[in-house]
This record gives sequence, structure tokens and C-alpha cells, in this order.
Amino acid sequence: MADDKPDVARLVDEAAKAIGLPIAPEYRANVILNFERSLMIARPLLEVDLDDELTPGPVFRP
Amino acid sequence: MSDPLSKTATAAEIARAVSHDKVKAAAVIEAALGRIAAAEPTINAFTDVVADRARRRAVEVDAGKHHRGPLAGVPFAVKNLFDIEGLLTRAGSKINVDGSKAGRDAALVRRLEAAGAILVGGLNMGEYAYDFTGENAHYGPSRNPRDTTRMTGGSSGGSGAAVAAGEVPLALGSDTNGSIRVPSSLCGLFGLKPTYGRLSRAGSFPFVDAFDHLGPIARSTEDLALSFDAMQGADPDDPVCTHLPPEPTLPHLGEGIGGLRIAIAGDYFARGGEPEAFEAVATVAKALDSTKTIVLPQAAAARAAAYVITAIEGGQLHLPRLRARPQDFDPDTRERFMAGALLPGAWYVKAQRFRRQYRANVLKLFDEVDVILAPATPCTAPRLGQVMMKLGGVDLPVRANLGLFTQPISFVGLPVVVAPLQRPGGLPIGVQIIAKPYNERAALRVAAFLEAQGVASAPPA
Repeated sequence: MADDKPDVARLVDEAAKAIGLPIAPEYRANVILNFERSLMIARPLLEVDLDDELTPGPVFRP
Repeated sequence: MSDPLSKTATAAEIARAVSHDKVKAAAVIEAALGRIAAAEPTINAFTDVVADRARRRAVEVDAGKHHRGPLAGVPFAVKNLFDIEGLLTRAGSKINVDGSKAGRDAALVRRLEAAGAILVGGLNMGEYAYDFTGENAHYGPSRNPRDTTRMTGGSSGGSGAAVAAGEVPLALGSDTNGSIRVPSSLCGLFGLKPTYGRLSRAGSFPFVDAFDHLGPIARSTEDLALSFDAMQGADPDDPVCTHLPPEPTLPHLGEGIGGLRIAIAGDYFARGGEPEAFEAVATVAKALDSTKTIVLPQAAAARAAAYVITAIEGGQLHLPRLRARPQDFDPDTRERFMAGALLPGAWYVKAQRFRRQYRANVLKLFDEVDVILAPATPCTAPRLGQVMMKLGGVDLPVRANLGLFTQPISFVGLPVVVAPLQRPGGLPIGVQIIAKPYNERAALRVAAFLEAQGVASAPPA
């Protein structure tokens, strides 16, 4: 469904503002392209279900 | 055996000759500096040559000032993210050149020199190691000696190029997602990415702390083992470095493959590449008499998680520089780092949680096998400047996909040796020989067996 697709351009603009990263107009299109690629490449991870008990906490051993 | 002054001499051959007074270290270094001067206009592997330092060191080795260790008189070079005393640690960037000079050599440089080796310079690399191509907008691309119109692979591109061109027999690189294994494959060399945390990273510029490894690229398995053994050991300066004592691998190289259970990685690792990648694995499997196939569960998700962690850690690390000096980044890394800095934090945490599950599942496989074979790269060296490539009939970006088969392995820190196949009439390609943590010895034994059988070899002169 096309409506479910995120507006990546807007997402990039607003996220960049939120973290204080100015993106010059000449870089913007490529940042958006790379964000879109990341969405595609991340998909197999995002589709995995993980148990609540699965934690990434560091382990300290004597 | 090669002439120790020739471009095909291995580190072991040089060290034996120097140790037995058959040749002076000074002569070895002059020969290496001569080859570097001759090759560099074409190959562009080096960004810094420390000729005076190397000559001084060689005189000291010849005078017996240093213990003639197992690497006596062996010239080597390091990716320019390793600190070299008195030089700027470029890490492939223009920005770092405005920093301060290194006050001391990186830990692994010190360890190789303590074994008698002699540093001759710093090597070209993709900017801040966010690269699989070996291209660099600031310093020019390193060029593949086998075909100089093609990529070396990266990000340790200069390390691959310098060894493949015969400028030095040994180079150090770093491998976060495949940056030792990809150039080893595309340049046709032996490479070792050790277990995460087994070699000290002190004095090297970081990229993704969760995955950063350092290791050697060389012309023989023996040279990988020699240098790996010389570099092992605890180091309080690297918080993830092992506390376990060194375990030499060299004495075991000739043990053959008897007793080793060897399987081929199927599923994810058997698709999405060009035929030559899978033919190489089949050739190696046949030589090893291996027919068993094993599946690394959820490898596609592992690759995705490695990508996410890399993008976010890299973007976060460089955020101050992306804010202050975006114009000074390589255009091929800048917008990828920027995009990484904007990705959702929830992805990062999920990737790290998934990593724990995947690691546990992969480690279980080593109850059944000792060694797993997989392609190192999905194809042979692409052309310099090539942006897209066809893999398994699908058009994909070169940069993001040369590490398809390496990322799910470094994601959980397993040791890997790349064994190169030279493919007469074609370009070389490598096979990953993967073992469980701290079992570099098994991967090196398999590579040594393939070398002895003539299946794997370094490029001819």
C-alpha cells in the first residue's frame, strides 16, 4: 500500500533538525537515497521477532 | 624458494635469509623501497613511505641491535588508520590531517617490529574505513595490480594492492565488515581476520567498535601465521583485547586437515552472487573432500543487523565532523554517514539483541563442524568507478554489496582466513575459511593444505 510508505525526505529533514545536523541542499538527495537504501537493507532484521527475554546486556566475568 | 630480494619473496623466506646472514636487512629494505618507487605511480597503494626510519631500523637489525626474531628484516606496511609515530593518522580522510601526529606506533606495529619486521609506510584506504571498493576521493583509488582498471576492494585497498604488486610481502589492514577479506579476495591474496578481541586495536583509528578487527594480508598462509603469532597477546590499552595467553599457530600449519570436520555454508551463502564465487567454493570443497552443507540460520538478518549497527555507530562517531566540516568528507562516504546518523535508535537496539541470538545459534553449529566454507566476495573485482553491478541477475549498488558474504561472519567475531584462487585467464577470487572463536589454527591449517595442494596461491610474479 503506497500510503504506508514513509515520507523519507520529510523524515530526513526533521530527524536532521532534531539532532542538529545541517544538511546542505547539494547533499540532501543522496542522504535521502541512502536512508531509503537503509530501509531496504534493514528489512530482514526488522521482520525478525525477538523474545522479550533476549537482551544485549554486556556480561561481566571475574 | 624465491630470491629474498624479489617481489615474490614471502616474509618467511626473507626472515630465514636475514637470520642466516644470506642477505642483509638493509638490502631487503632497499629492494622494497625500489619496488615501491617503481610501482606507486600506477598502483597508488601508499600514502606515506617512511624510508629513513626503515633504513635506520635495517642497519640496527644488521648490527644485531635488535633480537633477530621470526620476522627479521621483513618489510611491512600498514593501513593508514594505524598510528605511526611522528605521522598523522589519516584513516583515509582529509580531516584527520589537521589533527596531531601520533606520539607512538600502534600496538601491532610495535609487536611486528619486536619480531624483527621493519615498517616502510602507511597505506591508502577508503575514508574512515566505510568502504568496500578501495576508492578514495582525497588520495585517489588504490589500483588492483592484476588489472589496474579494476578495484582492489576495500577498505584496506592499499594493503591488498601493496602485497599483490609485490611492494611488500606483508601488510596490516582492518576488517569491520569485510575490509581485510574483500581486498584479499579481489587481489588474490591470503588474509586473516582473527577472532574479535584476539589482537589489540590500540593505536588504530576506530570505525565500529562492535566489529572492528585488525589482521594481516600476505602471499602465503605461513606468513599469516608468522605475523599473527607475533601480534598475539593481551593489551590493557584495548578494552576488548583478550586476557588469554598467546597460542602459536605456526607449529600446526603442516598438520593437514585430518580430524577437521568441514562443511559448506548453504542457503544465504549459496545465492546472490556470480557463478565464479560459488565455483571457487566448490573447487575448495572438492579439494577438501567436503560434501556436507550447513545453514547459518538467519544470515540475511545478520547482514542487515551488521549494516544497521555499522551505519549508526559510524554516523554517531563522525557526527561532530559531519556538522563542522561536511565539505571535507569524501562524497562517497559523507551522505552514507549522514543517513546513518539519522536512523532510528530502535533499529540499533534490535540489531544488538538479534546479535546475541544469532551468535548463540552460530556457535551451536560448531558442535557439528570445525570449519565452514563460504564465498569471500560475490564477484571478482569490479571496474574502478563502477556504481552498480549485477548479482544473481539483480542490479545492486557495488559499495553496499561487495561485503554480502563477509558481514554475517564478522557480525559475531568469528575468525576467518581467505584462501585465494587465481583462475587462469580470469580475475582471482577468495573463499572464506571460517572457524569458531579462538580456532584460527583450524582455518590456517585448511588454508595451508589448500596451498600445498596448489588450489590456493598468491598471484604469480
